[in-house]
Amino acid sequence: MEKKRIDDYEVGPLPSPRPLDRFGFVKQDVNSSPEGINRGKSKDELEREERKVRKWRKMIGVGGSDWKHYVRRKPHVVKRRIRKGIPDCLRGLVWQLISGSRDLLLMNPGVYEQLVIYETSASELDIIRDISRTFPSHVFFKQRHGPGQRSLYNVLKAYSVYDRDVGYVQGMGFVTGLLLLYMSEEDAFWLLVALLKGAVHSPMEGLYMEGLPLVQQYLFQFDQLVKGHLPKLGEHFSDEMINPSMYASQWFITVFAYSFPFHLALRIWDVFLFEGVKIVFKVGLALLKYCHDELVKLPFEKLIHALRNFPEHAMDPDTLLPMAYSIKVAKRLEELKEEYEKRNGKALKSADSTAKQNHSEGVSS
Amino acid sequence: MARRAEEEYDYLFKVVLIGDSGVGKSNLLSRFTRNEFCLESKSTIGVEFATRTLQVEGRTVKAQIWDTAGQERYRAITSAYYRGALGALLVYDVTKPTTFDNVSRWLKELRDHADSNIVIMLIGNKTDLKHLRAVATEDAQSYAEKEGLSFIETSALEATNVEKAFQTILSEIYRIISKKPLSSEDAAPANIKEGKTIVVGESEANTKKACCSSS
Repeated sequence: MEKKRIDDYEVGPLPSPRPLDRFGFVKQDVNSSPEGINRGKSKDELEREERKVRKWRKMIGVGGSDWKHYVRRKPHVVKRRIRKGIPDCLRGLVWQLISGSRDLLLMNPGVYEQLVIYETSASELDIIRDISRTFPSHVFFKQRHGPGQRSLYNVLKAYSVYDRDVGYVQGMGFVTGLLLLYMSEEDAFWLLVALLKGAVHSPMEGLYMEGLPLVQQYLFQFDQLVKGHLPKLGEHFSDEMINPSMYASQWFITVFAYSFPFHLALRIWDVFLFEGVKIVFKVGLALLKYCHDELVKLPFEKLIHALRNFPEHAMDPDTLLPMAYSIKVAKRLEELKEEYEKRNGKALKSADSTAKQNHSEGVSS
Repeated sequence: MARRAEEEYDYLFKVVLIGDSGVGKSNLLSRFTRNEFCLESKSTIGVEFATRTLQVEGRTVKAQIWDTAGQERYRAITSAYYRGALGALLVYDVTKPTTFDNVSRWLKELRDHADSNIVIMLIGNKTDLKHLRAVATEDAQSYAEKEGLSFIETSALEATNVEKAFQTILSEIYRIISKKPLSSEDAAPANIKEGKTIVVGESEANTKKACCSSS
């Protein structure tokens, strides 16, 4: 009976023919179109884009056969090109190559199918509850029991069986949903595994494990980075009692997939999969830096609102990303991680309840 | 009138919305603060925030409401928001018995993390789904009495009792606050005494934001 009730709130199976943007999301606001820039592409731009795709194809080789060789030989070229954005038509393939998920897939034939068909998961009802609440305005996911919702369910269920410690946590759906727009279920599953288990970069399963330990660590690191890079704003945040858990949890938990303009989220994901999580910190800092002069003037409530609703011009990838790339965080992140572990090590040794107490105090101070 | 009233207030009350995932917390909040209901709402990740200023017992009260993600694992983040809250709206879904069964666990959460004198209201939401009701009003009513909570049933979709629920809890908070001996601070003494998370400031947070916008 619970199962039947997943989405009683849906009016009906037939989606109304509302206009969609180029990524398949129902358009919210007719006046603002972030991709408007791309609509009237000049001949020049089209040619440039074609050249870009050709270069990429050459770099990848047939089905990705030349990729590893190329990355080894010219890592800087690859990094630079990825930072400029992976061509949309090659994105799915390249994501699998740079995340290491393609290798996992080849090493584990039949495993995904086994997980989907034969295993049962304790999280099934939780997953179903959230299916219709994941990218509800996207044409692929909005149809009840449609192919999008089914794929989303399958991948999340498979993962919750594959890693029973993590199971299913809200937020994983948005990450998976974003992947499913660019690859098959099985590919999306292995990319999720590659990310959470750390195929190329350090594992991110701590984002979703009991206690959300990695979210807590990232928020601590981000808080300190803000204080270091933007001292005036950091001080203003302290005065107004704003802490990153109020606005940045979603950034880390879904790597910007939850609420950012999709064209920006994709560009961030390009870099995230190749360079790792530090791009999330850089983009976060760049946003705050871009809006700095506004933010320092705002009192608590307006500040919270502003931090959750950045203006459109701040979220233009071609402005924001170069700014993000120019912010150096790697070394400081490492130091802050050690500092966090040192602080937290103490709490871990004492009773669990004390550890929790320390956490909550950390959040609101 | 709304614009002007929003900028000045006698009291600022912090209230948290808690309860299992999918019971309708975010829609109760959007119904109360913006009179909106979103059929295609996303699950809440972390915490959300909204305010509304209204008249309670002849005083202008600003309600500062924190809406939390319901999934158990998120308590690692959300429980920090209980501190300093004067009220808690504990929501369950009248069509899902498990969400009602879990109310006792939420009460324990509050006892562990919130101030001991927090005002708690139990809310049975989604009464519009009459044919699917699975938790009887009487059961919830007697549970609430036993635990010393106030109780109401609502439908965020039909806007039934939402206003009343918030009015009731805010009045209760007001009555408790106004009974306390006045401290040296003149505005919102109780909040300042409770401390940490209360911040005074004007809000225009909830103007002309379309429902279901991508943010």
